[in-house]
Amino acid sequence: MTVRRVLILVPTLLLLILLQSYFWVPTYEQQTRGNPNRLNEYIAGSIGDAGLLNPILSADSASSDIESMVFEGLIDRDEELRFRGRLVTSWEIYEEAFFFINESAKIPGLGVSDPQTVVDFIKKAQKTETIDIPNLQDTLANIVSIQVLPPHEFSITRKVQDPKDKSENTTIEINVAAPAEIKLTLKHVDQNLFENLAQLLGKDYFNSFSGTKYLSFHPQVETKKMDTYAREIIPATKHNPILLFHLRPNVKFHDGHVFDAYDVKFTYESIINPKNLSPRIADYEPVKDVEVLDPQTVKIVYKRLYSPAIGTWSIGILPEHLLNSLALKKEAHHHGVDAGTFTMRQSSFNRNPIGCGPFKFNQWKSDQYIALDRFDDYWEGPPNYNRYVYRIIPDLLTQEMEFYAGTIDSYNVQPHQVGRLSTDPRFQNFSGTSFGYTYIGYNMRREPFDDIRIRKALSMAIDVDKIIDYVLYGQGERITGPFIKQTDYYNHNIQPIAYDPKGALKLLAKAGWNRNRAGWLEKNGKKFQFTLITNSGNDLRKAILAVAQDAWKKIGIDVRTDLLEWSVFIQERVDKADFDALILGWQMGIEPDLFQIWHSSQTNPYQLNFVGFKNEEADDLIVKIRQEYNHDKQVRYCHQLHEIIAGQQPYTFLYVGKWTSILDKRIVIKEIDSNGHLYYQKIKPTLTGSYSFHFNKWIKLPEAPHFMDEG
Amino acid sequence: MNLEKKTSQPDFQLERPMAPKSSQIKEFWLVFSNNRLAIGGMIIFILFFCSALLGLFLTSGPDPIFDPAQIRLQEKLRPPLAKANLDTLRPEEVPRMGIYFFGTDDLGRDVFARMLQGAWVSLTVGFVAVGIAILIGIFMGGIAGYFGQHYLGAVSIDTLIMRIVDIMLCFPSFFLILTVVALLPASIYNIMIVIGLTSWMGTTRFVRAEFLSLREQDFVVAARALGVNNFRIIFRHMMPNAIAPVLVSATIGIATAILTEAGLSFLGFGVPPPHATWGNILSDGKRFIFDAPWLTFIPGIAILIVVLSFNLFGEGLRDSLNPKLRQRR
Amino acid sequence: MLAFISRSIIQKIITLFFVSVVSFLIIHLAPGKPSQVDPLNPKFTPEVVERFRKEFHLDKPLHVQYLYFYRDLFTGQTVSWKDNQSVLNKIWERFLNSLPLFIVGTILTWTLSFPIGIRSAIFRGHIYDRSTTFFSYLMISIPGFFFAYILIIFVVTRFHVPVIGMETFGLGDAPIPHVLMDRIWHLLLPSILGATGGIAVLSRYVRSQMLEVEGQEYIRTAKAKGLPPELVHYKHALRNALLPFVTMFGLILPGLIGGSVIIESIFSWPGMGRMAYEAILARDYPVILTVNFVSAVLVLVGTFISDILYLVVDPRIRL
Repeated sequence: MTVRRVLILVPTLLLLILLQSYFWVPTYEQQTRGNPNRLNEYIAGSIGDAGLLNPILSADSASSDIESMVFEGLIDRDEELRFRGRLVTSWEIYEEAFFFINESAKIPGLGVSDPQTVVDFIKKAQKTETIDIPNLQDTLANIVSIQVLPPHEFSITRKVQDPKDKSENTTIEINVAAPAEIKLTLKHVDQNLFENLAQLLGKDYFNSFSGTKYLSFHPQVETKKMDTYAREIIPATKHNPILLFHLRPNVKFHDGHVFDAYDVKFTYESIINPKNLSPRIADYEPVKDVEVLDPQTVKIVYKRLYSPAIGTWSIGILPEHLLNSLALKKEAHHHGVDAGTFTMRQSSFNRNPIGCGPFKFNQWKSDQYIALDRFDDYWEGPPNYNRYVYRIIPDLLTQEMEFYAGTIDSYNVQPHQVGRLSTDPRFQNFSGTSFGYTYIGYNMRREPFDDIRIRKALSMAIDVDKIIDYVLYGQGERITGPFIKQTDYYNHNIQPIAYDPKGALKLLAKAGWNRNRAGWLEKNGKKFQFTLITNSGNDLRKAILAVAQDAWKKIGIDVRTDLLEWSVFIQERVDKADFDALILGWQMGIEPDLFQIWHSSQTNPYQLNFVGFKNEEADDLIVKIRQEYNHDKQVRYCHQLHEIIAGQQPYTFLYVGKWTSILDKRIVIKEIDSNGHLYYQKIKPTLTGSYSFHFNKWIKLPEAPHFMDEG
Repeated sequence: MNLEKKTSQPDFQLERPMAPKSSQIKEFWLVFSNNRLAIGGMIIFILFFCSALLGLFLTSGPDPIFDPAQIRLQEKLRPPLAKANLDTLRPEEVPRMGIYFFGTDDLGRDVFARMLQGAWVSLTVGFVAVGIAILIGIFMGGIAGYFGQHYLGAVSIDTLIMRIVDIMLCFPSFFLILTVVALLPASIYNIMIVIGLTSWMGTTRFVRAEFLSLREQDFVVAARALGVNNFRIIFRHMMPNAIAPVLVSATIGIATAILTEAGLSFLGFGVPPPHATWGNILSDGKRFIFDAPWLTFIPGIAILIVVLSFNLFGEGLRDSLNPKLRQRR
Repeated sequence: MLAFISRSIIQKIITLFFVSVVSFLIIHLAPGKPSQVDPLNPKFTPEVVERFRKEFHLDKPLHVQYLYFYRDLFTGQTVSWKDNQSVLNKIWERFLNSLPLFIVGTILTWTLSFPIGIRSAIFRGHIYDRSTTFFSYLMISIPGFFFAYILIIFVVTRFHVPVIGMETFGLGDAPIPHVLMDRIWHLLLPSILGATGGIAVLSRYVRSQMLEVEGQEYIRTAKAKGLPPELVHYKHALRNALLPFVTMFGLILPGLIGGSVIIESIFSWPGMGRMAYEAILARDYPVILTVNFVSAVLVLVGTFISDILYLVVDPRIRL
């Protein structure tokens, strides 16, 4: 009967066709099925789509992932987190320092002196090797040249807001008749220069200089304000650290245009251009001037000592010829919009970026993928992969499944999966610690947290290992201080505070807190009680909240807990320092600059030292660290600072989280040795745990290779 | 006067002429009990009902016997029947009998307690939503079937109501529910009401058809001729005869409503926390399907069994109540 | 005949008008008043409300707003708020993506259901009938997303094959047969998922329709005549049982949108259902409204087709 046969045959056939297609589809094992090129492309997965593909405008992690492939910075950090040149072959850091002749100060052995005499005096001192002040000797030896800048006059205008009527601006004209100035050129940056020179020129030579008398104001202002202006316009001393970059010749942008110093200058100017609203503008505020000496040399002059500034030059360099005002005007005209309001933010460049990185932009399908192609003219030699694809898959489960199916090459394992996936023989796995830590902070302005014994006791009562084991599935490491654990700024000699509730009780007893009959700690009839808060929406912090509350309850402290919505938490409690204790975390950069979080000047409302940590020694070190350009010295200061902070326990430092990634085992490093032989190597993470450091040498093989050291 | 006396008598008799009630139920039971699937469905239906009630009792109150909201982050993603780790838990956190019967979820909540609580919530959603749909359906269907021939201006009431039904049927129901639920603030009441408001059309059609045929039957004509008021005719005489298909579609409707709620929860528009429903236990758990498959399978299979039992029960009811099929057995 | 068709069309248009009014009102019901920011709903930012106010001409009376919107829709000027693309183009694109899923699912459903249903009608009460009954109900009762996940987990962990999406990612340069087969492979799971529920429901209908018909006198006559049973079932009985399915066939069209939301979002299938869901998530009102409108059109077209089919098939109806 035909009807019946048709009714059965048609679906059976259809199902057969559907099922047999399995044999045509690439599987994890056979990713090349039908598509041999699969080995030449790397597919990464991401939760979110990129925003703007412009290194100076974007702030999200997806964009910066792509930017790191498309753009290249002047420098970056190598395996051991030291700086290494990318678009520059070498660089020099030196200093120009200035001081005004103090016409009223007496130099020991000279008296009041004119500029030339001072110069001669210093030069003479340089030659005298018998000076027995060691610091001064070093300082003098560091001076390369000394120059006198004659007195000069100039005038500036300042706009001042009228205190009574805020909308009114008054303009003040200031005429400056600056005295003679002496310029010192130093081999290395020396933050102690003037301190040491003062030993030669007299203790108060720099301190007693007052610039007020060289200024004349129109209209007149108060004396107090005059001093402020004087300190700003003609300060007694000035440090101008200088970065001199020697650019790599013949580096090309993806469009073939040759990269030169003007591109560097343009990138800087674009960042500080207020119209572009660059989120990175704060990093470049200390820059005084960017000077192009010749197309291969850029000189960057800083207003003051600020060592973290070097790291900012890892920013991707923009091509000037595509984004300068002329090009933008053209583009605005092309779109038929007003050129006056058209900025880099609106430019189509941000969706078709061109840089000089190892991969050039190919295609961007919103919410689907971003595809990059190999840049064959890459200065370091083209990468092995032909293609880099950045897939946007918002759902983590889907990402995981796509990884199992071989359509994503790496997967960031969630903590609860580490146990299962890191032992899977099909994948290679990497793990490392992240750049940040979680802590419990105490409000040191309040009783009883102003007592160091109490803070220590509170830390001793918490079993951090338990938190790491049960809350983090073991995916965390203990931490003792405020620096990033992988860097050498971190002082590994400091031991974490051991879990010791009995010891904690002893310390508390010393501080006057004893257990009452009900088991609660009491002092002068007052129960030890406080509130521990954190933000809602973070399960980890919520868990720590419960663990800490419980731990402190065990030693007789009545802890209340409160979960606050993020904006309330920050605006009402943290910013206003209205809390007893809180759980929070810091995400950190590599630079060891702790000024904002730990300096005593940052304890006001809305500042980041909300626990109110004040320590003179620490303040001194913090300032020294950010002014020190010598790495070894910096490390030494950091270790000292770490020790002080760990000793003071303003925070109970808890842990730094660990990440784990798994990668297809067939991905290896492919290199050609000096004899021209091709060889493969297992991917090894760098000291800091970054496994993708050698990404440009990666390639996927058809079969997972066996390496000798695998056993 | 005389007449009035007489009218009361036929009225009294009108209810009687039908087959004696006891035997009707007996006959129904005879057919129904033959259908083993339906019996199984009914038993599970009753079990589910009891466990939902029990769940309400066990999981609510200030100190519930099974606490579905207790978070124990030290005890995340424990497998079913795992023993609680007593060292890390405070006494009040320890689950009943020290065992997680169905394991724990990603926040360390006891899945068994959540399932118990969810049973009640899912049942409520099903019953209330279907209750709303049935009430609207009976009302609209009743009016259309009984007063259909009256005219409101140019169109008859029947046409008007049936056009409204047509309009409602034009919306893709799940998408409509999704849209409305997404636009309104998330709340369990909104979900129940929206599901109810979008699923009354079938009942309306049933009731209308039944009423149209019942209206012409002798006992109704007689009642009307005797001047019994419309209200009484509808509710006392016609409704009991039209209720059977409504019951069947209600049973199946509850199953559909539970599935719809689960689907909404899955897409993130379901009953908001702190209410646990099987749907949102499943949708929360799906992220952990490789690591904690019980979080997906326990609620998934529970939904499957309950919906299946409702469907089988409803189908058994339909078979047993359908005289045509009954005769041929 | 012509009179019937034209009357039917007019009726459908009137219905469509009311549908458009109702869906417009539904959008305006959110949240409370569209001009207000709902503090309970984090997605309702002041910017969205401002945009809403502007594009829906909220300062005008309601009926004028309505006219504005549908004028834009019919002239193809409506654009999505999310990416400023024309809504109609977007829907068309997504429609083409949904189409293969729909076609494969429909073919499977409308073929397999008949032999299954008929067989269980013939062997009513036997073990075959009971097991298909149970199995159909199992398929009707299983939550689609749960079933989908079971299947996906099974296929992914067992065979390590990609199943998400419309094609394997990164297969761009492969030869055409591979690309084609790859697409077919990706059709497999979602279309089977879509079809199972349909087969379960439809085979139940077939079964009950056949039971109705098989009791008729002429079937008994045919059997008594000694015709082969298959002929009796598939020719005499099926033909007469077929009539109600004509109506149902017209109603499968709207399944293109509503039925696929969950499956398409699980499989990241860029079809109509997923677009509708994404539009809801993104509060993309023009898209939501248009999808609603289009699906209403599909329903009406479907019923219209089934009316016509009825006319053609059933000799008793002559208008």
